[in-house]
Amino acid sequence: MRYFAGIDMGSTAIKIALVDQQGSLSGHTVVPTGSFFQKNTLEALQLLLRERGIERSDVAYLLSTGYGRKLLPEADETISEITANAAGARAIAGSAAIRTIINIGGQDSKVLLLDADGHIRNFVMNDKCAAGTGRFLEMTARNLGTDVGELGNLHCRSSGAPLSITSTCTVFAESEIISLLARGHGKEELVAGVHYSIARRIVRLARQIGIEDRVFFDGGPALNSGMVAALEDELMLQVVVPAAPQLTTAIGAATLARTAWIDTGEQVNA
Amino acid sequence: MDKERRERLIRTTGVHLAMEATETLRQVVEEFPDNPRAMDYFYDLFRAEYCGGGAKKNGAMRIGMLCVQAPEELIRAAGAVPVRLCSGSHAFDQAGAEFMPAKACSLVKATLGMLSLRTAGGAERLDLVVNPTTCEQKKKAGELLEDFGYRVHHLEMPPAKDSEEARIYWQRSVKKFAAVLEETTGVRITKQRLAKAIRTTGMARSAYRRLHELAKWPRPLIRGKDVMLVTNAYFFDDLDRWTAAVTELADEIEQRRETNLPGAGKHAPRILFTGSPPIFPNLKLPLLIEQAGGVIVVDEVCSSSRLLHDQVAYDEQALYDMVPAVADRVLKPCTCPVFLSSQDRVRRLLDLAASFAVDGVVYQSFAGCMPYALEQRSVGQALVNANIPMLSVETDYGPDDQGQLSTRVEAFIESLRGKARKRA
Repeated sequence: MRYFAGIDMGSTAIKIALVDQQGSLSGHTVVPTGSFFQKNTLEALQLLLRERGIERSDVAYLLSTGYGRKLLPEADETISEITANAAGARAIAGSAAIRTIINIGGQDSKVLLLDADGHIRNFVMNDKCAAGTGRFLEMTARNLGTDVGELGNLHCRSSGAPLSITSTCTVFAESEIISLLARGHGKEELVAGVHYSIARRIVRLARQIGIEDRVFFDGGPALNSGMVAALEDELMLQVVVPAAPQLTTAIGAATLARTAWIDTGEQVNA
Repeated sequence: MDKERRERLIRTTGVHLAMEATETLRQVVEEFPDNPRAMDYFYDLFRAEYCGGGAKKNGAMRIGMLCVQAPEELIRAAGAVPVRLCSGSHAFDQAGAEFMPAKACSLVKATLGMLSLRTAGGAERLDLVVNPTTCEQKKKAGELLEDFGYRVHHLEMPPAKDSEEARIYWQRSVKKFAAVLEETTGVRITKQRLAKAIRTTGMARSAYRRLHELAKWPRPLIRGKDVMLVTNAYFFDDLDRWTAAVTELADEIEQRRETNLPGAGKHAPRILFTGSPPIFPNLKLPLLIEQAGGVIVVDEVCSSSRLLHDQVAYDEQALYDMVPAVADRVLKPCTCPVFLSSQDRVRRLLDLAASFAVDGVVYQSFAGCMPYALEQRSVGQALVNANIPMLSVETDYGPDDQGQLSTRVEAFIESLRGKARKRA
């Protein structure tokens, strides 16, 4: 049996997906990125392979993507996370006819517009700062002395109106959050406010290229139910969140690795 | 500015300029396996100009131009050498930041920075600076130059180009400019001198045209990063030497076509580059496109094709016919977004996209450049209607958006690959 690996080297986490010759998912893992991209990636891959009982030599093609994609000399090819994300959504959603993908990553966010075949028609990314990305959520959690995983629960427990966070810069927003807390505002409303502020920002970005139903929402922050609720409110649409939103891009890369291997094979045989 | 600070600024800026020029040249020369041999002339020229203190200038009077709209034929006919002053240097951009609002365009700030220091890029000795009144920022930059001590002529331009009123206004403006030139150089612009200037610049333009036409070949024979270096060299290089070097390059490219030795893969997506002009050393976006595997086969920018595409057409060898013809050459075909209507630019882009079989368009707007930002929507819409994908990029001369831009550009090129494969 041959396997194909997609490695998404993000700024916060490394995501690895394996697919088999039929293109079905046969394993995945998510580990923190840390400072040593290459070492951490290879260790995570080794661990995953051992766990699934797969030999390294059975991995026929390795495709790396994401922020650190060029830092892995072991990869057979690199591809941008935008192409990989679209391929992942295609593989996961199948016939669900996704037309827009909203992705919030660790330090960027992007919106992709797809045609009827699931290929990229247009896309936009945030500008060069961390506002409206996963970093913003991490900073919020840190200031509240809680875990990022708890933000969704806090949001859902809020009873008053979400607080408005006016700063878009992560650094300034941090002091804004601290002063809101000092003035005695509730954590719940503050978290909801942060989610709405991120959602508004990404929806404004999405409007630049247009939003078409159905909308697929992925990236780590899509695990956060509060973030999903705020995004749906701002979009005024229901979004599709995959079971493992962090993995879409890695799965896309693995699928593309399989296609690339098949294409190469055809060229060799031709 | 006190003397000591000025000297420090000149020294530091000089170091930064050499660093960025060296890095751009390294990428242009070393990151591609198939550079034409005839490009060595241009690589050496830029190395000497930017990294080695500048080439030796001859004794002729030098007239600086702040825009492509100044008719160079008149400057040459008046016995002077034209130098295009628009700068692409981030170091000069930083030096110029103190004269303009923070959100102003990099190109204008860099040009001001260069001229404030009077050290390089042709600013060492200028007998006159001509400032065509195009966008707001350039107009005001021209005024600031007077404060720096330059002699400036504001060449008044009409806000539209299609009406007869605009044409008459522009021709009168050009005639006035001719008089200022004669007064500056003390040389009369005679019909013989103007005819010679039209002929020699015309030869340069037809040499460029050959290169331009060769890019229509189905397999890309030359990369855009090289063509842009060639056209950028026209800003300051000796005219006859430039024409000879371009002719040699076009010969070699033609040879490539005949021996079927392509410059890049046949599946490489073909790109049309438009918007704010890439000027050395700021070839950031063109390089990202070609590093990602695309090939810029044609452009519509004022530092490249718009600079050299058109010829002067006159009927009678008499000044009353030649001077208006020179004026027309600059105004009528110009597709700069400062003009009232964007129709001509849209038409031109659709025409280039079709005749060069492009797979996608990259539209660069410098942050702070309103005219290009304003036309982006209508151009994008026209391209969508023609089924041509476009990537819009807002950027400046700073290096800090490199990582993010490379992801966007790579994704765009990847999305065009399927199309390019079907075509090939």
